Amino acid sequence: MRAYQDFREFLSVLEQQKQLLRITDPVKLEPDMAAASAAATRLGNRSPALLFSNVAGYQNAQIVTNVHGSWANHALALGMDPETGIRDQFLEFVRRYRMFPGQLERVTSAPWQEVVIDKDINLFDIFPLFRWNHGDGGFFIDKPCVISRDPDDWTNDDVENVGVYRLQVKDRNHLGIQTVPQHDIAIQLAHAEARGEDLPIAIALGNEPVITLMGATPMLYTQLEYKMAAVMQGQPYRVVQNEKGLDIPYGSEAVLEGRILARKRQPEGPFGEFPGYYSGCHQYPVIEIDRVLHRKDPIYESVYVGRPWTELDYLQALTTSAPIFDQVNATFPEVQAVNALYTHGLVLIVSTKVRYGGFAKAVGLRVLSTPHGLGYAKVIIVVDEDVDPFDLNQVMWAISVRVNPAGDVLMLPNLAENLLDPACQPSGMVTKMIIDATMPVSPDIRGDYGEILETPVGTDVWLQKLEALTKELRK
Amino acid sequence: MSAIAQGAIQACPRCRSNTVAVRAVSPLAGVWTVYGCDTCFYTWRSTEPETNTDPDQYPAVFRLAAADLPKLQVAPAIPPLQAKKP
Ligand SMILES: [Zn+2]
Repeated sequence: MRAYQDFREFLSVLEQQKQLLRITDPVKLEPDMAAASAAATRLGNRSPALLFSNVAGYQNAQIVTNVHGSWANHALALGMDPETGIRDQFLEFVRRYRMFPGQLERVTSAPWQEVVIDKDINLFDIFPLFRWNHGDGGFFIDKPCVISRDPDDWTNDDVENVGVYRLQVKDRNHLGIQTVPQHDIAIQLAHAEARGEDLPIAIALGNEPVITLMGATPMLYTQLEYKMAAVMQGQPYRVVQNEKGLDIPYGSEAVLEGRILARKRQPEGPFGEFPGYYSGCHQYPVIEIDRVLHRKDPIYESVYVGRPWTELDYLQALTTSAPIFDQVNATFPEVQAVNALYTHGLVLIVSTKVRYGGFAKAVGLRVLSTPHGLGYAKVIIVVDEDVDPFDLNQVMWAISVRVNPAGDVLMLPNLAENLLDPACQPSGMVTKMIIDATMPVSPDIRGDYGEILETPVGTDVWLQKLEALTKELRK
Repeated sequence: MSAIAQGAIQACPRCRSNTVAVRAVSPLAGVWTVYGCDTCFYTWRSTEPETNTDPDQYPAVFRLAAADLPKLQVAPAIPPLQAKKP
């Protein structure tokens, strides 16, 4: 466990660990940023962050992408060994998640206060903004932490919210924001708009890596992301409170202060989104920026979104799996692990002990009633505890031999779904499916299973031995 | 003609409105210009391919008609105004 003071400290750790690549060749904002970042996601488990420092049209702009873009970088973000496997990262993430809440540490100044711009703001001049995908409606800030409070409960820290929402830069000082109804900020905006008031917000860019993960975690409305970040890094989370009372991470590169304008909507989009398709154009809320603060020569961070897998899939992998596991395991302690790695958990695999016939289907139904299940989980595969849900070879084996579609596939028509799921019919509605890939147990007497093959005695010991030997062999 | 010439105000590649403004020019002079449309908020850089910058080559699937913009789905819905407390 380790707390990174700021974004730059994490980048230097990535560099020490050979997990950051400096790109000093000249690059154009379009199409090089997208092409290089898409290519980086194909480098596998040790894919590095990319730091571009020779950007066409700029004297000294620095852009970094793919910061969370591999299991190695994800492990380092959590202060773990970069070789840690997915299942072990999941178990450790859950262990820390269950220590919630940690503490806030409020300090009075931060490095991002070095430069203050409060008139003639032009976001295009301050940050090297660019287009990710050809059909995007514009240039998007897509890895921000957006901080807001509830106008009906302003001083209650526990309902303060930190979320990652896509922001389209509309003109020099206006942004569009996508707030899906399932998101916490949509509740706060509804309260402000019912009053006819703007909603003050702060937008933190270039953040230390843990708060970005927390902003992408679907926690309960009354759980403050900073208090989760504190248990994830093993230290109180350091913030600076602004004049409006919004708590802003100490370790950010830049902060935009502004307001979501009350009762105003404007065209926004399209934007290439996490399902691997463009989301359409909508009338979305509008943010007006009043003040920009940043470190000298701020490093601009963005996340490439393309066909999965990309960096975005790492941001919403364990951060999606852990809360669902925690909520389902609270009702069914038999549940062992949840893999919600695929497209933000649209497909999800649960492993569980099975107490009696039909039990696994009840576990699948419980997943659908979690907050994330209400808006995302669409295909749920339930496997026995002897199957590692993070090992797809094992999962496919379970589906191969433990599923008889006649009795193991439940179809549940017309359930609620995130409108970004392109399979929705109509938008916001979908049929969901539970595949029971556990072996039938009494009184479910279907199938003719006989005796299962056992793993040879001593396999684990041999595995460790062979791993060490092959590592030696490759030196 | 240079792609970054600034004189002629062009139509928006996406919605063909004439409400186009310069949003920024490159800090190193003459490398690029960023334009934006105040009707549909499409934004583009002069150095992008013509399928992003030229109304005639902009892909049909992404085009928008200015008249259709108010018909786009509103999300989230705007709630009714609360009666002010005295
Ligand atoms: Zn336009």
